[in-house]
Amino acid sequence: MIATIARHQILSLRRQRTFIGLLATLLVMTALAGVLGWSSHRTIVGVYDESVKLLAAQGLPAPENPFRLKPTLSLLSNMVVYIPLIGALLAVVLGHVSLADDETDGVGRLVFSRQVTRTSYVIGKIVGAASVLLAILVFSLTVSALSLLIVNRAAPTVAELGRLATFYGLSWLYLMVFALIGMATVLVTRRRSLALLSAMGAWLVITFAVPQVTSGLRPTQSLNPITDPVSTSQAFFRATSKARPFSVVEQYKQISGHVLQTSTDGGNSIGGLLSIAGLAALLAIATVILVQRHDYSTGTSSD
Amino acid sequence: MQTMDTDRFAAQRTTTAAIEMVGLNHTYDVEPVLRGVDLTIERGEIFGFLGHNGAGKTTAVNILTTLITPTSGTARVQGFDVVTQRHEVTSQIGYLPAEVRMYPHMTARENLEFFAKLSGVVDARSAALETLDYLECSDLADRRVGSFSTGMRQRVGIAQAIIHKPSVLFLDEPTSGLDPVGVRQLRDTILRLNSDLGMTVFMNTHLLSEVAKVCTTIGVLNHGELIYKDTIEATTARFPDETSLEDIYVRMEAIPS
Repeated sequence: MIATIARHQILSLRRQRTFIGLLATLLVMTALAGVLGWSSHRTIVGVYDESVKLLAAQGLPAPENPFRLKPTLSLLSNMVVYIPLIGALLAVVLGHVSLADDETDGVGRLVFSRQVTRTSYVIGKIVGAASVLLAILVFSLTVSALSLLIVNRAAPTVAELGRLATFYGLSWLYLMVFALIGMATVLVTRRRSLALLSAMGAWLVITFAVPQVTSGLRPTQSLNPITDPVSTSQAFFRATSKARPFSVVEQYKQISGHVLQTSTDGGNSIGGLLSIAGLAALLAIATVILVQRHDYSTGTSSD
Repeated sequence: MQTMDTDRFAAQRTTTAAIEMVGLNHTYDVEPVLRGVDLTIERGEIFGFLGHNGAGKTTAVNILTTLITPTSGTARVQGFDVVTQRHEVTSQIGYLPAEVRMYPHMTARENLEFFAKLSGVVDARSAALETLDYLECSDLADRRVGSFSTGMRQRVGIAQAIIHKPSVLFLDEPTSGLDPVGVRQLRDTILRLNSDLGMTVFMNTHLLSEVAKVCTTIGVLNHGELIYKDTIEATTARFPDETSLEDIYVRMEAIPS
């Protein structure tokens, strides 16, 4: 039964226009990430080469090009931004449509008047959403690997592919948080439009508001790989640093930066991973409980 | 073990009424909607459940289709308890709610295949096509449900309700939004399902003219209480002065509960 519901979920997404539009945007941005990374790298190296020529003309020695030592995967650093923005939005829509159709006009009544338990129903829905996100990210991984191949004119090494797979694995877990938020909001609101609005609100808070009271208070930290000594000496900053584990977007960016080697500050990767996984597990349990308690004898408004 | 269970279920199916409610009560918040309803519907009957808006008809159907749990009392469908034997009950019933729409971006066939699989039908594709053919609407198979008129949706809705050949069919206000041609088609379909497949039909409706033409038995619910239940023939015999079922119904509704 779980497989039937998951398969139906996957099939029905083929014709959800909003979802398809966001998916296309994410895939285009994934392809562009490599090109943009390569373009900025090429500009910097070009400036360095010009400087070397200028110094040589003046008979001065030129320093070693620091950018040549940059890891290959750092070309994909933009993906660390695209996933929390476009990817998370896509996941919210995916989670929303997974349950909203069954709410609207009471299709859920037809489902639950059959031999379907609420547990197998909600697990089927979660498995369906997880499978779709996995397929999208496997495709994104392929696009990223191809763009590295084209930009560098050399195939990524096994180690690089491993890091890339780890990054997309982490992204899958991160996006599941938003898919589950999209599902849960359908179950706690009576109107479809309000459910989507609530999920978008949660996305805005997690992506933009929470970082403002954590890393947003130390705007130079993202540029400086060394932890700001002032921040650890002041009570206010010490207090806000305690809030950091609750900012899953920061945890995601920090671990991703470490995995893609765009940042030397890995922070507490295990702790970060656990906070993302913990939130996903918490939301999954909440969604299962909400479906058990939900009244499927009536339909909600479709407006 | 499974054979024994099957035998036990088969025995229950052949010895009990199609639908049985005993002292059924249901309360939303503090408002009682059903008040001690006792009702038995025999196999093969076409039962018309009448009552004003808010009388509790849909609540009764929601309980019988296992969508909600009654506050107290018992309800059985084909001998199975709707609370403790939910799985067995859902294997026996088909349900068409009022204003059904299904998945609008999927075709009629895709919708039917999904609901057939949920009911454990092995060859869901064949079942979907056969059911559409039975209801004489095969032309709708590959069209998206979102583009359907009310009448078309209703026919596909009936198809999803009977695709697994249930013993009992629940129809909640099936005529709402239908034009006269649609109402006539629905009436013919109900009579065919009853005669061809022996389905017991439980129908909530306001359309008294259809009740008189289709139903074998009627029940009247007034503010959550069952105030009347008898066959159509007995009803018209009991109220000889009234010219139509509508007059009888108005007279019953006027009786204080």
